[in-house]
Amino acid sequence: MLGQFELYMPTDFTEACALKAKGARPVAGGTDVYVNRHGGKDRDPEIVDIKLLKELQGHSYTEGHGLDLGALTTHRDIETWDVIKKKYYAMFSGCSQVGSVQIRYRGTLGGNIMNGAPSADSIGPMLVHNAEVTVAGPNGERQIPLETFYTGFKKFDIQPDELLTRIRIPDVPENSGSAYYKYMRRGAMDLALMGVSVYLELDGDVMRNVRIALTTSAPTPVMSHSAEAVLEGQKISDEIIIKAAEAVASEGKPRSSWRSSAEFRVRLLHDITILVLHEAIERAGKSFEAKAESIPMRLYPGQDGLKPRPKEEV
Amino acid sequence: MRTVDIEVTVNGEVYNKTVPVNQTLLRFLREDLFLNSVKEGCDEGECGACTVIVDGEPVNSCLVLAAELDGKSVLTAEGLAKDGRLHPLQEAFLEAGAVQCGYCTPGMLMSAVALLNTYPHPTRDQIRKEMEGNICRCTGYTRIADAILLAVDKMEGQDA
Repeated sequence: MLGQFELYMPTDFTEACALKAKGARPVAGGTDVYVNRHGGKDRDPEIVDIKLLKELQGHSYTEGHGLDLGALTTHRDIETWDVIKKKYYAMFSGCSQVGSVQIRYRGTLGGNIMNGAPSADSIGPMLVHNAEVTVAGPNGERQIPLETFYTGFKKFDIQPDELLTRIRIPDVPENSGSAYYKYMRRGAMDLALMGVSVYLELDGDVMRNVRIALTTSAPTPVMSHSAEAVLEGQKISDEIIIKAAEAVASEGKPRSSWRSSAEFRVRLLHDITILVLHEAIERAGKSFEAKAESIPMRLYPGQDGLKPRPKEEV
Repeated sequence: MRTVDIEVTVNGEVYNKTVPVNQTLLRFLREDLFLNSVKEGCDEGECGACTVIVDGEPVNSCLVLAAELDGKSVLTAEGLAKDGRLHPLQEAFLEAGAVQCGYCTPGMLMSAVALLNTYPHPTRDQIRKEMEGNICRCTGYTRIADAILLAVDKMEGQDA
């Protein structure tokens, strides 16, 4: 049961901001807010449904400029959009693994950001694609890189009277590739026990503009700048990829929870980084012959270890 | 407690209702319209037993407010049969043995309807992926996938 609350469904943006400023909880898809109410975790007396605000709606791609996504863009919109599969594969991979089909039709990118879960599947891919968010309020608009928008666990660079309105993601060159790997215990309806996202550009054999983001490794989704530095400007080789995986494993700070121990998660970080780097390199157009047996995996030493997901998912 | 007036089309019929703002679509369909095919399983979006189709999209009705429905169109399992004849998916579920206890079946049917709207000729992998939001604790899913493939054949036959 949802409990008692007052509901507002404003169509005017300033009205929505004023309601949020006086404490109403914004809700878009409701796949987090109403779940928490059902469980009794959350009993906000006022809810403001922001689905009718046109400032948050629509999504488009423009050559040279990239993606302009309204905060209300659903995971299903991203999953079924051909441009995303072609140019922003990590985002396809992340958004298509959120919850279930029913959840993805309702859940929004803006909601995924503002829910602030460290395990959010769409955030790592957006971080490596250099996303920038727009927050707006009565005093105008601000653009903030997604990376600095997170200031702590479920804390953001946003004022009480401001709403997240849009997400902008720059266009990507032809020689780029991105990938996201989500480790879960079952095939659907599960949170990421661990996730790693990678974006890179290839200049022949040399990796440039490498960006790596970690999911479920810190109080917020985070970047692994030390691993990026290891790879930046280097030629592709097994040795350099192992070094990057080690850097990720020492930079990530996952915690123990009832779902898994921190030690297991650190090993996962190492092995997933190797897999996801291979995939991103391949997506950037380089068929990469990894000498699999020469890469020591930590999770199941001496065994085959994690397997890459099948190439083409639904 | 505030209420909201909505005009909603359910299974082709238009209803004008006044609903409390904290009523879920699930409760509205079961308690106001007596559409008891819509099942409450987990009541938090995990199990898919309450799946209905709103404006062509499958949703967990436990996570949607009735107040959001003004001007929308809802389809439940009660709306699948036409002219006293079961929908090909319903026939196929019976013939393939895809129903055991039956609690998940209405939700499965609605997800299958949505699946066939997106992929009229799904592969088994596509069926498994698109039906991931519906849990069945009896069948092991194999016969549900069989039923959907059988329904595809039946619908082909109808078109011809």
